[in-house]
Amino acid sequence: MDDFEKHIQENKHLFDEHKADKSKIWQHIDSHLDTKKTNRLWGSPLLKVAASILMLIGAFSILNPFISSGFSDSKQNNIVHQELRDIDTYYKDLVSFHVQLVKNNPKLQPKDKEEFLSFMDELDEEYNALKLEMAKNLNNEYILEAIVYNYKKRIELIENLLKQINNSKKTNDNEGYIL
Amino acid sequence: METNILYTHKDLVEKSKSGDRNSQYRLYQLYVDAMYNTSMRMLGIKEDAEDIIQDSFIEAFRNLKSFRYESTFGSWLKRIVINKSINHLKLKKIPVVPIQNHEYYVSEETNNPIKPIEINKIKNAIKTLPNGYRQIINLYLIEGYDHIEIAEILGITVSTSKSQYHRAKKKLIDIINTM
Repeated sequence: MDDFEKHIQENKHLFDEHKADKSKIWQHIDSHLDTKKTNRLWGSPLLKVAASILMLIGAFSILNPFISSGFSDSKQNNIVHQELRDIDTYYKDLVSFHVQLVKNNPKLQPKDKEEFLSFMDELDEEYNALKLEMAKNLNNEYILEAIVYNYKKRIELIENLLKQINNSKKTNDNEGYIL
Repeated sequence: METNILYTHKDLVEKSKSGDRNSQYRLYQLYVDAMYNTSMRMLGIKEDAEDIIQDSFIEAFRNLKSFRYESTFGSWLKRIVINKSINHLKLKKIPVVPIQNHEYYVSEETNNPIKPIEINKIKNAIKTLPNGYRQIINLYLIEGYDHIEIAEILGITVSTSKSQYHRAKKKLIDIINTM
């Protein structure tokens, strides 16, 4: 290091000649940190579907005691049946919509995508079989439990996928900043 | 002693990690001016530097969990600011390294180093340097990075960093001598 370099390094502090507009910059940082936090929680479509499926399970759990405690009246039974079918159709569409989103997601590895979709297909098959059984006997507690389990499995799959997406995001974010 | 330096503002950093906005603000206040000056030296435009500082603090607070005291918080943060500033220049297609024969190594030391002169003169001379030269002079002389780190930051080889630094320093001294 020559004298010129030493001279500069000894007087480094004199090169800090600017003053930041602290309050203006902080305002932006503060608002952005808040917004992002909210977005992160509700922004993911997969999280939405997970929440929706949880609601479905909730609906099943509420209806289940009524069904098993002998809802003998056939008219009432039909109403429940119809309601279940409606809820079921709604969430089935929702799941298939989000499965489509996963299929089209460019950020996911093809291998992970394939694995996820093949599990979903298996669960779909199992679910169809259960649905046929349920049509024969709505009051069968075991079939309803199996359907709930089927949906739980789907949530688990979606959660795993979410974890993968978040992990890959974290890895990318941290690149180059550890000295 | 060195370990103690690494843990500078540890309390604030730890609280900021858990999302405490007060601690984040105090950290921000401590470092914003230094970071702003670093970015201003690289970008030279107030608005651009402010944007970079905002983004850098937001990113730093979001990724603070990955900060493990392997450097001081200040140098970790500064690296984010430098990386973002370099990326910004690249996006604007402003050269971050001189457009010359990069692999040519100039080993000569300055024969006639200038006598210690007013820092203001040096500051003004740095501002008139071509973009690529200015970045390497800033990174080495003011920000205090070594050639290995500069090579990493600018995506060039260590020998390119050394040769370009020597060219830049020679140019800087020429400018100062004509002032």
